[in-house]
Amino acid sequence: MSFLQQWMLAGLPLVALPLIIHLINQRRFQTIQWGAMMFLLAAHRMSRGYSRIRQWLIMLFRMLAIAGLVIAASRPLASGWLGLAAGSRADTTIILLDRSPSMQQRGAGTGDSKLETGRKQLVSTFQTLGSGHWVLIDSANHTPQELESPAALQTLPTAGPASSSADLPVMLQAAYDYIRNNNVGRTEIWICSDLRESDWTAESGRWATLRDAFLEFPQGVRFHLLAYPQTAPANVSIRVTDVRRVQSDEAAEVLISLRITRDGGGDEKVPMQVQFEIDGARSVMNVELTGLHTDFKDHRLPIEKSTKRGWGRVSIPADANPDDDDFYFAFDVPPSRRTIIVTEEPQSERPLKLVSGIAPDPALTMKPEVFAADQLSTLEWDDVSLILWQGALPTGAIADQLRKFVDRGGEVVFMPPRQPGSEELFGIRWTDWAGGDDPTVVETWRGDEDLLGRTLSGAALPVGQLEIRKYCGLTGEHTPLATLRGGAPLVARVPTKQGGVYFLATTPAIQDSSLATNGVVLYAFVQRALEAGVAVLGKARQLNAGITAGEVPAEWTRISDGGQGLSTEYPYHRGVYSSADRLLAVNRPAAEDETRILADARVTELFRGLDFVRVNDQAGSLSSLIQEIWRAFMTLMLIALILEAALCLPKLARPNSTGGTA
Amino acid sequence: MFPDRQTRSFLDATVLSRLAGVPLFARRPMQGNVSGRHASPHRGASVEFAEYRKYVPGDDLRRLDWRAFGRSDRFYVKEFEADTNLRCCLVLDTSGSMGFGSKDHTKIEYARKLAGTISYLASQQGDAVGLGCVANGLVQNLPPRRNAAHLRLIFDMLEQAQPKGETQLATVLHEIAETIRQRALVIILSDLFIEPDLLASCFQHLRFRHHDVAVFHLLDPLELDFQFRRPMRFVDMEGGPSIFAEPNDIADRYTKALNLYLDQMKKVVLESAVDYHRVTIDENYEQVLVRFLVGRAQGKGLR
Repeated sequence: MSFLQQWMLAGLPLVALPLIIHLINQRRFQTIQWGAMMFLLAAHRMSRGYSRIRQWLIMLFRMLAIAGLVIAASRPLASGWLGLAAGSRADTTIILLDRSPSMQQRGAGTGDSKLETGRKQLVSTFQTLGSGHWVLIDSANHTPQELESPAALQTLPTAGPASSSADLPVMLQAAYDYIRNNNVGRTEIWICSDLRESDWTAESGRWATLRDAFLEFPQGVRFHLLAYPQTAPANVSIRVTDVRRVQSDEAAEVLISLRITRDGGGDEKVPMQVQFEIDGARSVMNVELTGLHTDFKDHRLPIEKSTKRGWGRVSIPADANPDDDDFYFAFDVPPSRRTIIVTEEPQSERPLKLVSGIAPDPALTMKPEVFAADQLSTLEWDDVSLILWQGALPTGAIADQLRKFVDRGGEVVFMPPRQPGSEELFGIRWTDWAGGDDPTVVETWRGDEDLLGRTLSGAALPVGQLEIRKYCGLTGEHTPLATLRGGAPLVARVPTKQGGVYFLATTPAIQDSSLATNGVVLYAFVQRALEAGVAVLGKARQLNAGITAGEVPAEWTRISDGGQGLSTEYPYHRGVYSSADRLLAVNRPAAEDETRILADARVTELFRGLDFVRVNDQAGSLSSLIQEIWRAFMTLMLIALILEAALCLPKLARPNSTGGTA
Repeated sequence: MFPDRQTRSFLDATVLSRLAGVPLFARRPMQGNVSGRHASPHRGASVEFAEYRKYVPGDDLRRLDWRAFGRSDRFYVKEFEADTNLRCCLVLDTSGSMGFGSKDHTKIEYARKLAGTISYLASQQGDAVGLGCVANGLVQNLPPRRNAAHLRLIFDMLEQAQPKGETQLATVLHEIAETIRQRALVIILSDLFIEPDLLASCFQHLRFRHHDVAVFHLLDPLELDFQFRRPMRFVDMEGGPSIFAEPNDIADRYTKALNLYLDQMKKVVLESAVDYHRVTIDENYEQVLVRFLVGRAQGKGLR
């Protein structure tokens, strides 16, 4: 049990007062010479059993009455899960609020979402508990924001729903930085979240670091987790996986690929209406959902031939979570796919030019260009999507230019020079060539994602058929995407904030590998890199909420209806925005459609060693997390007093005849 | 009244003079040595006609009723009741518990007043008076006599009687029942703090020996009410173990035990035909004695 006025519990020793008074009273006895001892002895014999229990009961009820009074004055709280956490007023209370779309899930039979319920519960709880300072760190911008009062949680736009994902380690890091920078006293951190695995990234190494960091605070930090782990089995979400504008001689069309995800899956067929809206024109498609995911490839929506650029919305009927029931998209005439090839030998140049010049779609314009390394200073980087670099790693101005290119979302694939040097870029350095006459094969590769992932039909790329005769070693921090027999990396990715940097440990030259002869892998590899690079160049971009690489949100103007939030919050809310002459469709990240919930044991493990309490609530819950129960103790006191009085009542005296005769 | 003119604290001349007009009667026939005012089991020469009896040779011819002979032509002898004096044996309990008194006087002081007054009244009407003091046993004993000097001895003994020791009243009463040769009036003055069953056998014994038994059951008001405000340590006046008690806690059980005892006592005295008087010692002893004497006068005449 927890108490708001814990210091009042210092009065609990008063419970012993009846006992002390009893003992003092015992010592104040009088002595009397008594004749009628036979009656006293008889009375003493009769005092066993109930009579003796009665004395103890009277004592007990008196002590209970005092205990009830003291506890009632200490303002007890009804919630046991708080433990003694709420014992004294915290100096600072930091609220980590998960605003991600999954928190918009409604509870059964209620209109309140998890986020709304969580905010109400937090406001109610904080108003009872009190604190010196209130700080909100929301899942969208991770910036600590001081609140005047807990009630502000109900009205603040930055506490409202957002379309961006939550990143709990980052939020905790922000909380840690706030505590450290402001030298706050005893701190309580309240986390309101739905425990989505994608938001918590429990496998991240940051958790261990954060745990150790919080343990170092001498003032002590308490963690309270207000969890809403319930899922909605019937919830359906929709996502546009691809949108393209195609034009023929007769007409223009927008090809939209969709993925509809049904939580929980199931074999039964569920009919569903999908509504498309482009420039105010609406159309409906009736579909049947089966299984977990239902994909629709290139649904054609005719548009005006003159409409080169536009935006639209796909929606399904409202269900448990309205935030994943629609998806915005923007389309434009696809930009030309410009690839810069820098190579030091013609054996590699030819295949690279071929794979980057053959368009997967006739409507696309491919522009492969070969540059020498020393000519790059004259290159216009703005419309470049991909750089294929075979040669020594650049340094100096060229290296800086490449870093900028990657930061704005460009893709770079490095291949080793014939004579590796000591140059280093993106933390990677080529070492020596290896291999001999006998070709080596690829032993493992990442087929689930990235450039070597399976095709849309589910078929794996024939990476295993490649023959690698020579390969170059590399050192530095990287993530191997394909590994040769023996453990040497063939394809490695360097972690970057934006864009992609890949290192291919061999070249397409015929003496090095069969990449050119078995061109499927190289073609898919290059085209996928090219597609990722061109995604940031078009006049119409699909953005994940919260991620604004290469964009200036301050210049955004909202053009879709149903606007939410302040203009500063645009990057975190789904919708279509215009920035200069470009259209930006902002939607929830794909990870938000993953409904996996972090296991309870895993959550406990994350906070191991920390002062941590957790309570599960559910959306629309009307019961408060905590409530004061001093009335119950006052009632207990009154009952104890009444019972004590009843036990103390003297028995009705019988008329006693004295002085009679027989 | 006082042969040696010695003042006795337990005697009040005004009370004695007021009670002098009320005779002390025995409820049963007594066997005295001399003529008195009490009924005797034998025929005698009083003025009160008893019965006719057939003449048998040897009877005094002066007692023949000639009128009856004239009517019936048979010889009858006319017999009259005999009046005799009584032997009054006072049994005074001098055990430790008789020293208790919550108000002006103790039970033994009260008992002295009753015993002294009764002794005087009995002596004045020519009855023999004796006194036995009972504690662990028969501590002191004066057999009944009817002279004035003996009365002084009784007063002296009353004055010197001190409450001390345990009560062996039952044993002593059995002893008295056996040792008093003739029918007597046995008056017991005690708080009777012994089991009623024991007393019942004593009373039955006395009754079997044709004694007229009267009992003054002396109780203090505090013993009846048991009202205390603070925890008390009760020290046994008869030498037993002390008891520490919260009076408020045990008052109800004490009262229960007391009432049970009194009910049993009432049953015992009813079954034993004992002239029982429960006396609270804050009562006026004169009133108690008046009630006693008048009650006995109403019961007079049984032979």
